[in-house]
Amino acid sequence: MNCIRYLLLSICLVLVLSACSSDAPDGVIRMGLTTAPTNLDPRFATDAVSSRINRLIYRRLVEFDATGMPVPSIASWTQVTPTHYRFTLQDQGRSYHHKKQLFAEDVKATFDSILDPATGSPHRSTVEVIQRIATQGNSQVDFYLKHPDSLFPGYLSIGILPADLIMQGHPFSTKPVGSGPFSFHSWPQEGVLRLTRIRDNRQFEFLPVPDPSVRILKLLRGEIDMLQNDLPPELLSYLAGKTGVSIQQRPGNNFSYLGFNLQDRFTSQPDIRRAIAHGIDREAIIRHFLKDGAKPAQALLPPHHWAGAKGLKPYRFDQQLARELLQQAGFSRQSPLRLVYKTSTDPFRVRLATLIQSQLSQIGIEMEVNSHDWGTFYSDVKAGRFQLYSLAWVGVKTPDIFRYVFHSASVPPGGANRGRYSSKVVDSIIDQAESSADFTHKALHYQQLQKQLLADLPYIPLWYEDHIFVSRDTITGYNLAADGNYDGLAQVQLNNQ
Amino acid sequence: MNTGYIISRLSSALLVVVGVVSIVFLLIHLVPGDPVEVMLGESAHAADREALRAALGLDLPLLQQLFNYFHGLASLDLGQSLHSQRPISNILADRLPATLELAVYALLFAVVIAIPLGIIAAVRKGSMADVGAMGFSMLGVSIPNFWMGPILILIFSLWLGVTPVSGRSGVESVILPAITLGTALAAILARMVRSSLLEVLNEDFVRTARAKGLPESKVIWRHAMRNAWLPVITLMGLQLGTLLGGAVITETVFSWPGLGSLLVESIQKRDYPVVQGCVLVISLAYVVVNTLTDLVYAAIDPRIRLGEDG
Repeated sequence: MNCIRYLLLSICLVLVLSACSSDAPDGVIRMGLTTAPTNLDPRFATDAVSSRINRLIYRRLVEFDATGMPVPSIASWTQVTPTHYRFTLQDQGRSYHHKKQLFAEDVKATFDSILDPATGSPHRSTVEVIQRIATQGNSQVDFYLKHPDSLFPGYLSIGILPADLIMQGHPFSTKPVGSGPFSFHSWPQEGVLRLTRIRDNRQFEFLPVPDPSVRILKLLRGEIDMLQNDLPPELLSYLAGKTGVSIQQRPGNNFSYLGFNLQDRFTSQPDIRRAIAHGIDREAIIRHFLKDGAKPAQALLPPHHWAGAKGLKPYRFDQQLARELLQQAGFSRQSPLRLVYKTSTDPFRVRLATLIQSQLSQIGIEMEVNSHDWGTFYSDVKAGRFQLYSLAWVGVKTPDIFRYVFHSASVPPGGANRGRYSSKVVDSIIDQAESSADFTHKALHYQQLQKQLLADLPYIPLWYEDHIFVSRDTITGYNLAADGNYDGLAQVQLNNQ
Repeated sequence: MNTGYIISRLSSALLVVVGVVSIVFLLIHLVPGDPVEVMLGESAHAADREALRAALGLDLPLLQQLFNYFHGLASLDLGQSLHSQRPISNILADRLPATLELAVYALLFAVVIAIPLGIIAAVRKGSMADVGAMGFSMLGVSIPNFWMGPILILIFSLWLGVTPVSGRSGVESVILPAITLGTALAAILARMVRSSLLEVLNEDFVRTARAKGLPESKVIWRHAMRNAWLPVITLMGLQLGTLLGGAVITETVFSWPGLGSLLVESIQKRDYPVVQGCVLVISLAYVVVNTLTDLVYAAIDPRIRLGEDG
């Protein structure tokens, strides 16, 4: 029995050792996240959480206003010629966390590094219009473009890294050094990130809590102080009745849609796409499933965007018309249309799929829902192995998205035209919009484009999801941003001390 | 126990690990989803994609990649994550203690509950205690972790306020995940202890022990249980291997930073090197635990002499 005694002793030792870990210090503001940030180097970060946290650590040349117009962040700019932009760094926000100043050389080094194919930055294609970068003194950077692009300033919303550390091959992904309002403090344990707010040395902790119910329970228990988005609507209703909890909600820009494969023999037929558009009761889904947590969408850009289209006529919910359209396409209750709807394994997306499946069954479409893990689903969508799928565009700022998503030259791997949509009219409008230097004319072209897309229906626009911020009453001063960023943390206060 | 036997067990264990790692390596590359596209996005140029693919060694023939992986392993280089660019060994070193901690506590909970329960059920066969114990056992196996976890959180964290909701922050934070994970194991173990003990209780040597006038507790612990341990230990070994492989649902519910959730996240992101690292550790854990289980047999039952004939 000696071995059992040793086993018990070992277990006791593990118990004692694990009891030695200590709790976090008081005064730390904690935010619950769905997932941990994966990469704190803005040259590489592509996921939403990493990008939002990188905004706190690094400063950018350019920001966007509420209408999606690029506005100065730490630099103002002038267009010297159609292919030459001069950026002048402002005086504020130029101190790096490692005590050096942010100079023009840092801007050049950051974008040179992104443009270098050896870096392998996923943002290279965004800024590849840059032919060369030159600096004039410490505060002036000249960008020379390969061809005119009036949207160019909007591409420079990537965090600026210090040139000296880029040269040294510093591991920014795990030890970020920027000039933003927050500096990196530590990763006290796997996934848990701690930042320091520079102006008052307040520490902020970001904890991954994947399960939304548990995230809510942690908030109610006081283990986290706040959370943002990714909450099932029913949990929001549950929270609404709780004392000690505040909820902020504001319209967002994240665009949910149904995508069609335009090379499929069924979904390539306009009547079938229109029938599906008329067969989905978006209002009911928004009211009952999303608990009014979204606004109906008619186009990829919201109407308040400078290039957004106002007054687009939605496809009204009309089951009779949907049935007639299906009949025109040769389908009836006796010989129903059978479609496969692909989605991820995300519970929200699966529930949405089953709702749409149920609504479409009422107009005589037998829809099979296939959910796959993200990698497989995304791969299938890019490869065009689908008839119908649902996704959302997150963080869209500039109208160059239209070329990326709808131009016939953007079929993967050349872009994100996953449905293989091809329209000479649309291609031509995109080309005209891009070549127009005047923003008023550009906006008109993009509005015309969105009208055309709504008529063609390569996508069925569903809605723009609202942003939701939930906090304990001890938290004040958080401003929820239209794009769901975490910039409000720079002003947030903890009032229980 | 002879040295030859141990060497032969270790060799076959190594072969199992190599086999598992190779099969998983090949399978993960067959699954749809390209890590380069996940990393660079859809707008990246073909040339950039190819350059990155070459930089990561993903353009090489699959067998060459496998050879390179084992070559790296020989020098303890597990590579680095495609997404975070962190060394795999660091990522695993961050996650492994959490997995070990949870596995040990869950097993401890299971043993503490299951053994008395199984013994009581066996000794008082047919009584209310037996029915109750087996009822618990049935319930323990039937309740899914994704339901049990939040219910335990609601009761112990929110209503009673005695444990943290989730996360890994001290010994109190492991209590609920260990109970969640350990309940099903306790249920299975309790049934195993009961059936194993029932078989032994009818043996002649137990009757003899009782006839000698030994107290019932001594009869059970010294005579019956010693002979009932073997199947229980086998099951515990297998279950410990499973626990060390990570418990995805429990880890997700309790935001427990273990290997299971890391493996699932990495598969979703097609982060091949991390998947390989996790699989390596999990297969090693299985093999080590099962080998140790075999070795423990001999210590428990003197009749067993591993590796000897006759």
